[in-house]
Amino acid sequence: MAATIKAGAAEVSAATSGLNPYQGPPVGDNVFAKITQNVSRVMEVPKPPRAWYIAFGIALTLLSIFGACLGWVVWEGIGAWGNMVPVAWAFDITNFVFWVGIGHAGTLISAVLFLLRQNWRTAVNRFAEAMTIFAVACAAIFPGIHIGRPWLPYWMFPIPNQMGMWPQFRSPLEWDVFAVGTYATVSVLFWYMGMIPDFATFRDRSTSTIKRAAYGLVAMGWRGSSRQWHRYERAYLLLAALATPLVLSVHSVVSFDFATAQLPGWHTTIFPPYFVAGAIFGGFAMVLVLAVPARQFFGLKYIITIKHIELMAMVILATGMVVGYAYGMEFFIAWYSGSMYEGFTFQNRAFGPYAWAYWTMIFCNVVSPQIFWWKKMRSSPWVAFIVGVIVNVGMWFERFVIIGTSLARDFLPGSWGYFIPTPVDYLTLGGSFGLFFTLFLLFCRYLPMVAMAEVKSIMPEAHVAHGDHH
Amino acid sequence: MSPVDPKKKAPRYWRSVAELEGRLEFQEFMEREFAQPLQELPLDSPERRRFMQIAGASLALAGVTGCRWPEEKILPYSRRPEGLVPGEARHFSTMMELGGAAVGLTVASYDNRPIKVEGNPAHPGSRGGTSMLHQAGILELYDPDRSKAPSRAEGNGRAAATWDAFTAWWKERRAALTSNGGASLRVLAEPSSSPTRAALQQRLKAVFPQMVWVDYCAVDDDNSRVGSTLAFGKPLRAHYAFDKAKVILSLDSDFAVQHPNALAWARDLGRSREPDGGMSRLYAIESTFTHVGSIADHRLALRAELIKAVAVYLDAALSEQLQGAAASGAPQPKPSAAFLEDAYVTKFLSVLVKDLVAAPGKSLIVVGEQQPPEVHALAHRLNTLLGNVGATVSYTEDEPNRARSRENIATLTQAMKAKSVDTLIVLGVNPVYDAPADVGFAEALAGVPHSVQLGLYEDETAKKCAWHLPAAHWLESWGDALAWDGTLSFAQPLIAPLYAGRSSIELLALLADEPKQTGLELLRTTHAGLLGDDRKWRKAIHDGLVAGTKVATVPPALQAIAAVTLSERERAGLELGNGQLELVLRPDDRLYDGRFANNAWLIEMPDTFTKVSWDNVALIAPSTAARLGVEDSTLVKLGVGGRELTIPAVISPGQPDGSIFVQLGWGRTESGVVAGRAADRIPASGVNAYALRSTELYDFGGGLQVTATGEKYLLAGVQDRFVMDAMGQKGISERIGQLMREGTVAEYEKAPDFAKHMVHHPPLLSLWKPVASYDGYKWGMSVDLNKCIGCSACMIACQAENNIPVVGKAAVERGRDMYWLRIDRYYRGTTAAAEVAFQPVTCHHCENAPCEQVCPVGATMHSHEGLNDMVYNRCIGTRYCANNCPYKVRKFNYFNFREDMKDPHNESRKLAYNPEVTIRSRGVMEKCTFCVQRIQKAKIKAKNAGRRVKDGEIKTACEQACPTAAITFGDLNNGDAKVRNEQFHPRSYAMLGELNNLPRLQYLARIRNPNPELA
Repeated sequence: MAATIKAGAAEVSAATSGLNPYQGPPVGDNVFAKITQNVSRVMEVPKPPRAWYIAFGIALTLLSIFGACLGWVVWEGIGAWGNMVPVAWAFDITNFVFWVGIGHAGTLISAVLFLLRQNWRTAVNRFAEAMTIFAVACAAIFPGIHIGRPWLPYWMFPIPNQMGMWPQFRSPLEWDVFAVGTYATVSVLFWYMGMIPDFATFRDRSTSTIKRAAYGLVAMGWRGSSRQWHRYERAYLLLAALATPLVLSVHSVVSFDFATAQLPGWHTTIFPPYFVAGAIFGGFAMVLVLAVPARQFFGLKYIITIKHIELMAMVILATGMVVGYAYGMEFFIAWYSGSMYEGFTFQNRAFGPYAWAYWTMIFCNVVSPQIFWWKKMRSSPWVAFIVGVIVNVGMWFERFVIIGTSLARDFLPGSWGYFIPTPVDYLTLGGSFGLFFTLFLLFCRYLPMVAMAEVKSIMPEAHVAHGDHH
Repeated sequence: MSPVDPKKKAPRYWRSVAELEGRLEFQEFMEREFAQPLQELPLDSPERRRFMQIAGASLALAGVTGCRWPEEKILPYSRRPEGLVPGEARHFSTMMELGGAAVGLTVASYDNRPIKVEGNPAHPGSRGGTSMLHQAGILELYDPDRSKAPSRAEGNGRAAATWDAFTAWWKERRAALTSNGGASLRVLAEPSSSPTRAALQQRLKAVFPQMVWVDYCAVDDDNSRVGSTLAFGKPLRAHYAFDKAKVILSLDSDFAVQHPNALAWARDLGRSREPDGGMSRLYAIESTFTHVGSIADHRLALRAELIKAVAVYLDAALSEQLQGAAASGAPQPKPSAAFLEDAYVTKFLSVLVKDLVAAPGKSLIVVGEQQPPEVHALAHRLNTLLGNVGATVSYTEDEPNRARSRENIATLTQAMKAKSVDTLIVLGVNPVYDAPADVGFAEALAGVPHSVQLGLYEDETAKKCAWHLPAAHWLESWGDALAWDGTLSFAQPLIAPLYAGRSSIELLALLADEPKQTGLELLRTTHAGLLGDDRKWRKAIHDGLVAGTKVATVPPALQAIAAVTLSERERAGLELGNGQLELVLRPDDRLYDGRFANNAWLIEMPDTFTKVSWDNVALIAPSTAARLGVEDSTLVKLGVGGRELTIPAVISPGQPDGSIFVQLGWGRTESGVVAGRAADRIPASGVNAYALRSTELYDFGGGLQVTATGEKYLLAGVQDRFVMDAMGQKGISERIGQLMREGTVAEYEKAPDFAKHMVHHPPLLSLWKPVASYDGYKWGMSVDLNKCIGCSACMIACQAENNIPVVGKAAVERGRDMYWLRIDRYYRGTTAAAEVAFQPVTCHHCENAPCEQVCPVGATMHSHEGLNDMVYNRCIGTRYCANNCPYKVRKFNYFNFREDMKDPHNESRKLAYNPEVTIRSRGVMEKCTFCVQRIQKAKIKAKNAGRRVKDGEIKTACEQACPTAAITFGDLNNGDAKVRNEQFHPRSYAMLGELNNLPRLQYLARIRNPNPELA
């Protein structure tokens, strides 16, 4: 069977004209079965590949470090981090914005590309959605833990209470609560709904009672009747339409945390589009980072094809140039504003004590994606993987540069400072990846990694009867 | 614990068989204060340390329960005394003597527990202002590291003792000493103006006619006393009227901070800097930045040793131009000194001479205490020649026949080494720590068989003395002293001694075996003549002073001053090679001679100029540092006369080339948990620069070798403690003029509102409607930048009033200091000619507050009187408000900065808290409230009286402490309010007003009065 898949993959990768990666001659008679078998096999085999164990071990270690860090921060106080006055937000909010940004690509791929009928999305959308959920989970931890009294974040929710307290709705942090909350809810629903037919497949293929019961429960009685398919597709379309504005809103609102502040370097109207572009950029980079090893180790190369990687590389190249433009435009506006403070903030960013962070960001986000102008590079999975990693580093630095350098030197030189992270800062950042990858590896093992039903729907075989007409 | 009477019949209930049987060991057990005897615990064992903690805690707790009346007045409350409202503060007058002069204070006492020190406006030494040291007295009083009981040397360690044991011991000693008339007895004490102490000194002398009284303090005004003797033939004390002077020259003097009468002079100096009423012109020639130099119109940085030649030059030049100069003795010949050939120095001095001559009777020359007597003498001569005597300077008789401390300590040590001293009584001073290094006091002390030290702490000297006796704090004791102008001032105890402390007069009475030995009795005895009448006495104690006891001025008779010889060094050029460098030693503004070192408020207080806290540093001019290869925040080795010291260096603008400045008072090894204590392995804060001091190099001197080690040293500071890059310097220089607006008198006269036009911005619009109309009270503050000398008294006043925590060196280094009020310090230029300016920054209480808009939980809200209120218990700590505050005045509790209060050792420190201000928990934001507790108190009072709050009725803590009266607070709706007039003054401007924050704090622009010829 492996040989067939390989042959199929080769054939598929050759068919790179047009946007449907599966265009061209059918792969074989039993390709639907193969998809089902291959995707389900990860869940069905008694033991996943050794790489999974190694990765899971690392992720779990990082996760426990994360837990220890957060425990320490709750126990001792957030002084365990290096935050201070003037840099009262540092790694904490940088990590938050970074993870929210990562969480962007999922919904974009699922919803926006769905509405735009970009069928190639089907191979990667489940990944991307899972990534979104896990990234939002990572992100949601930071606003809760970064506050001085981390046992009280619920005071930000409009819960009627005996203290007569009510949130203050002029605060962008309050907007964040709703923006991120809505986004997380819709993303989870969208992700879960998309998985229902695949859960049913898992249920049907399960051999053990426990698995059958568990998958049966989450499949919610899916039988695959055409009425169900009809309802399902309607609902999917509706959710996609609901999710689409959220793609724009969530990161726009996150950017308001900064844009509505008075601080030079934050107080910028370009932030909403710039943040959204940056989020898509970083999100796609993360999808690549996850998809390349996954297709390698779980034998899904013929589902997630080179064409997919190439298309994602193109998105990265395009959005990378959008953020590059934004970086330039910030400088222009700072100069054009005529404000001494604005002008200084940007000069200081590029040539002051944090210049190293700024130029790291420029290299990672503007220079490194330029390699994708070469088709050879775009279609090399491991090059894409490396660029994905670099872009993610760059996007983290972008947030740090915006938050840290602006705060470090604001209006009054008397209170300027320089933020130096503590070991707990680094470990918290590293640990958050532990949470992300732990969740992701569990997802790979136990949930349908690829949207089987959707992939099948765009296979040429699905259209055999009508092929000649379209 | 009552002792068990063995004769008593057996108790019905018993604690042990031993008790039942009335055994001796049980009686001993009962009589001992502690279950395990102190002597049995080895000194360095952890058990002992723990024991000391518990012992301290129990004593401290005894203090809690004992919020006591002074013993003399103790009465039970069968009925509430009239005027006493529980929980209401009452204010008592008292005073603190430092440097031999009293500063009158009023102390707020809550439930008989002193919690806040203020200046006594009626007292000539305070005039309402206070210094950091007065403010910090509260924390010192409650310092758990204070000595709690007498102790005596035993073997290699120390054993606990009692006052009774000491009295018994002294009885024996007395007998032995009487036999030789006290010839082998020495009393080493800080010079004091206390009449009671002087009387007791005489009475002790009557008992021991051969006894020698040794005046010694590491900080003294000996040079000026000797200087006036040179000029007038007898020691005269100078009284300056800075407010009447139009041209002031300060020669290496910090008279506005480092002088016993600094508070009064600072106030006068502030008044003379009023640009609306003929502002004075202030020249400063100094060896390091002083507070006076910071507001000078012209400042010349010269090595301390060159100032003598400057004085000689001025004398020569002025004598030429002033009539009648020859009549008062031959003028000094024109000095030939290499540095006087420098074009700028020549220009500076000739312009100065012209200005001085042009203001006869309206000029003033003041010399710093560190300058040698000749310079003082010449200044007295010049002041006389300039016609200033009787106009801007007057004289009173000073204490005659007192030798200089440096000579006294040397003579005493010699006598000790010669074994002619067998009994030494040390009152309060700490010579083992601060005596000049070449004297060898510590070694000599080891050879004195009977030594007694009375001190607030069991310090370096106490550890080396046969007996240590705990001293009562000045807030715990009766006392008297004279203000600088001679006004008789009284100290009354605000609380009974927390520990077994006694005041120095009480100890002297004990030594002299006086019939009456309590402080009150001693005072009444001394003043039986003047204040014998109880009513007069009560009034004096109530007022804290006896009005009209000022010493009469005397007309000075100027004598001829011999030609002053200038050594080769004193005639050298402006640059010096390594090995030839000058070292300047000066007491620290915060720690004085080192006695205040264990005061956390003071030790964490950033230095006025370097902004470094928790360390003393060597200040090096940028040019010198470049030549020597010294980098900022690295350790350097200072070597002079075979003595060495390793100390962190700070490159400091305004420092003259070739001169290294080091503050004394740091590096204590036997002090407490704050400053350092060797026994507990608590490292010393800072380094002890007395190690470099000798009788030769006492104030300053040459021959210093600086060796750069290149080793980095982590300095904690609140402002730019990192090397400022070129980018940052550019940014500062382009904006500083807009933040810290400054103009000259000429500019001000041409356009009084020049400051308002220094920033132009488009019309300002707001998204939000004003939250209130502010038609009731409308609080505002005004800070006069022209008057701020950067003394930082306001910062400690704020800390004391608002329970601001001390965070420790590591947290300061991380930028987590908690000061609600800070003083930003900006240099203009980086050379020796650099200028400095201070800007106190508190919360601006913006009407359109950026912090309020961004708080998601509404923890910071606007009051209807325009206060930006902080609701601590609603704050969850997002810190967004701090990020959005353009003034960065919000401080965050990154940890529980009160964690140390859980240590039972620190129990007594809790008493220092102001009960009217909430203690903030971990994780919440805090900031200046404009002392809202004071506002509320005044409002309640006004409301009960059915009137509005009057202007001046509310003084914020910073305003009240400010010696120069640079801060004004009040109601902007009150047409007569000073703050309103100031905010409507043309000089007033809102810092960063272009952000449309509508701050309620406005600054009065800084005005300088430069000489056009030097501009």
